[in-house]
Amino acid sequence: MKTTVSRRNFIKGGLAGTVAVTALKESSSQAATFEGYPDGMGVLVDLTRCVGCRSCEAACNQEQKLPPPEKPFDDFSVFDEMMHGQKRRTDETHYTVVNRYDVPGLEHPLFRKIQCNHCQEPACLTSCFVNAYTKTPEGAVIYNPNVCVGCRTCMIACPFYIPTFKYSSAFNPRIMKCIFCYDTRLKDGKPPACVEACPQEALTFGKRNDLIKIGRQRMVETPGKYEDHIYGEHEVGGTAWMYLSSVPFDKVGLDTHLPKEPILNFVKDFLGIVPMVLTIWPALFAGFHLLATRKDWLKNKNDDAHEEE
Amino acid sequence: MRFFSHQRPEIPIVDHIKPDGSQWTIKEKLWLGLSSGDYFKQFFRNPVNWLMIAIFVIGVPLIAQRYIYGLDAVTHGSDDYPWGLFLGFGLFGMVPLSASGFMLGTTCELFGRKDFHPIERLALLNGLLGYFFAVLFLEVDLGMWWRLPYPMFVSLGPAAVLFLVAWHVATYLSVQIAEVLPAFFEWIGWLKGKRVIRKMVLGLTIAGIILSTLHQGALGALFTYAPGKVHPLWFSSNFQWIHFFCSSIFAGLSMVIVSSTLIRNFAGWRCDDHFKNSLDDITVKLGKGCSLAMITYLVIKIVAVAHDQEWDYLLTGWGSYYMLELGIGVILPMFMFAFGVRNNSAGLVRFAAWIAVFGIIWNRLNTALVCFNWQLYQEIPHWKEVWITITIYSLYFLTYRFIVYRLPIVYEWKGEK
Amino acid sequence: MCTRKMYHLTMAMAVGSMLFWPQAGWSMDAADAPETVEINSLSKSYGGVHFDHAMHTGIASCEQCHHHTTGAEVTNSNCIRCHAKTGEEDSVSCKDCHSSDRFSKKDLLKLEDPKLYHIDKPGLKAAYHLNCVGCHQKAGGPTGCQDCHTITEAGEKMFQTGKFAPAPTAGSGHGGHSSH
Repeated sequence: MKTTVSRRNFIKGGLAGTVAVTALKESSSQAATFEGYPDGMGVLVDLTRCVGCRSCEAACNQEQKLPPPEKPFDDFSVFDEMMHGQKRRTDETHYTVVNRYDVPGLEHPLFRKIQCNHCQEPACLTSCFVNAYTKTPEGAVIYNPNVCVGCRTCMIACPFYIPTFKYSSAFNPRIMKCIFCYDTRLKDGKPPACVEACPQEALTFGKRNDLIKIGRQRMVETPGKYEDHIYGEHEVGGTAWMYLSSVPFDKVGLDTHLPKEPILNFVKDFLGIVPMVLTIWPALFAGFHLLATRKDWLKNKNDDAHEEE
Repeated sequence: MRFFSHQRPEIPIVDHIKPDGSQWTIKEKLWLGLSSGDYFKQFFRNPVNWLMIAIFVIGVPLIAQRYIYGLDAVTHGSDDYPWGLFLGFGLFGMVPLSASGFMLGTTCELFGRKDFHPIERLALLNGLLGYFFAVLFLEVDLGMWWRLPYPMFVSLGPAAVLFLVAWHVATYLSVQIAEVLPAFFEWIGWLKGKRVIRKMVLGLTIAGIILSTLHQGALGALFTYAPGKVHPLWFSSNFQWIHFFCSSIFAGLSMVIVSSTLIRNFAGWRCDDHFKNSLDDITVKLGKGCSLAMITYLVIKIVAVAHDQEWDYLLTGWGSYYMLELGIGVILPMFMFAFGVRNNSAGLVRFAAWIAVFGIIWNRLNTALVCFNWQLYQEIPHWKEVWITITIYSLYFLTYRFIVYRLPIVYEWKGEK
Repeated sequence: MCTRKMYHLTMAMAVGSMLFWPQAGWSMDAADAPETVEINSLSKSYGGVHFDHAMHTGIASCEQCHHHTTGAEVTNSNCIRCHAKTGEEDSVSCKDCHSSDRFSKKDLLKLEDPKLYHIDKPGLKAAYHLNCVGCHQKAGGPTGCQDCHTITEAGEKMFQTGKFAPAPTAGSGHGGHSSH
């Protein structure tokens, strides 16, 4: 089989390949840094205030019309439930859960609510290849089930293990996750259902910027009461939901080894090489080809020349 | 088949024209020139086919169960372990093993190494089928599998790594179809189509290198979305994509060695003398490529450990497991390749290729499953998940064999071409 | 002056059913206060609380609940900076300072004032609960929801308990850590 290609054909082919690929891939590395909307709302969770009444869970279930729970929301035996050595987590029927943590040296147990933390630069959003996630100016990270293909990369990417998948459904599966009550409340400026239900104001709703000030003020006004850190102020680039605690955060099941930068930053090394490969590879390998087949080409040329004579 | 080819000189079919001067019809070509009775006789004489039937008898209902009752019914996929065997093996394992297409395409078409020509089509086919079945595995795993084209045409998230994977795998799949089509055109006797492809071959090959570099790397980069979840030894923000790309080189080459070995041993009737006689030589040369890619890979793996200051982890249980994986999956076959090349022993290279293929699958499963959520707990796949994976892999095997038996992949078409 | 104060206090004590106020002074003492207060302005999921004010005056000082408003000597080193001499306020009722529509747009807008010090004043519901529960936890008082409240039908519905309790087999919430 003839492997030598005329220069003309070669350039045509090479260009076509490059143009096609560049056109398709042009925007894939345009992942700009985003530090959140200035007026985005958030919630400050003060673990010292939570009494584990599960009102937030009940309110969430009602507001989001989730399926009935296995046990009533005033049944506190759920705090002892363990699966694979882990405490309860969000799942397709719970957008939020409260867990109990018995901290050594503390008279009372601590309770920690977990739900989507609505990151400033969400990993779920940046990892989604169908743009199913949106960070709204109000601060919520919402999800569009109509375009999701169910690849579950968002669940891989979420550092807080929040998005869950309706594995039980064959025909109508979707991601299930807290959306900050965006549709029914947040977009009208109202706090989410869990915040409204909390008797203790363990959940303080407000502008994220104000919440950081409030958190700092609590630390100042009650010296020694709090860990000197607002969890979520900087974790994974900052989250809209943040936490105050009287004990180190890893004692209440929060991952203290999370990076201070958005998850996307770990992917940027790769995204950065994409344009390089797209632009350099065609020329590089075309060059290799010309060098490798130069002898054949010269030979053909000479043959042609002889024929013409 | 060996039996029939001894009895009847006109089969296996290598030409459009029968010895008596009449044309083979497409139907006859599909039946390998046998009567349907003879065809089934040889089919059921083969114990491998009985094994396939046994796998399918259980596997097909399980796949139906997955589509009727959801993933929950057949997998241990959970909110903590979103990805299981279908992707861990089917996508992350199959794709590197299919890098053979672009590797040998580049070698033959771009570098003009005609000595690899006898195995080029097999490598291209190996690539095409591997990718096709990786997509099939994806279709089993996707929640809304009917929305497969969404990332292409409906809702685009171009900043995501998976977007790149989707586009590149889709584009590369078309490239590979185009690269394998000449064999099909020869077989059906439509030479015009072949000539059209022939003109595009260099563009296709270069496109293949670009797409492969990026999406092989992208599969690794997918895990950089989970910096805290993948064990640090298997994770590297800077080098993950290079690890995946570099290992795909020897994975693809090893896979084509394995597959050519199987074809030579079990479908020798189908190979022409050119293929059989040059195979040992080509295998050794491929082995040389493997050993070079492996030493590069090994160095980058160690560089990644050094770069992220992860030496301490090597002293833990996970570290031992990591070294075991590198030792058996990379270092052992690397030396076997090297000795095989030095002593010109195709047998040793073949053995090394088997180990390398196993090693690469092991590595991908480790990254996607075993060492994922290393601080939580380890998930063990549901037996049905395992069975469905085997079933789809068997379908891959059957398709592979079906094509190799018919199209001029490991033999040259004698007729007009 | 006195009638205005009376008016304010009347409004303030709308939560209370029995209200009598013998005399006004710079500093109130326990005897000035009503004996019991019905705290029910927010009751939704739970009924109101029949608060035995007289009993609590025996075990806690006024400022423990009413901060500086009763005119008692301020001891908290933080509060004292401003409230050392503010004396008795026009109102001592929780709801006159603590917003009953906390987190409403209007309420949040107040935080925009850059000179506002009390950016973290709990809403009325939290003011009650933080005060009561905080002390009860320390002093060993009752802390369960239904120790003080009776649950309403709306509450039973929200908590899916009582007559709204799920059937034993209901729910499929195995989710995350499902084991098959």
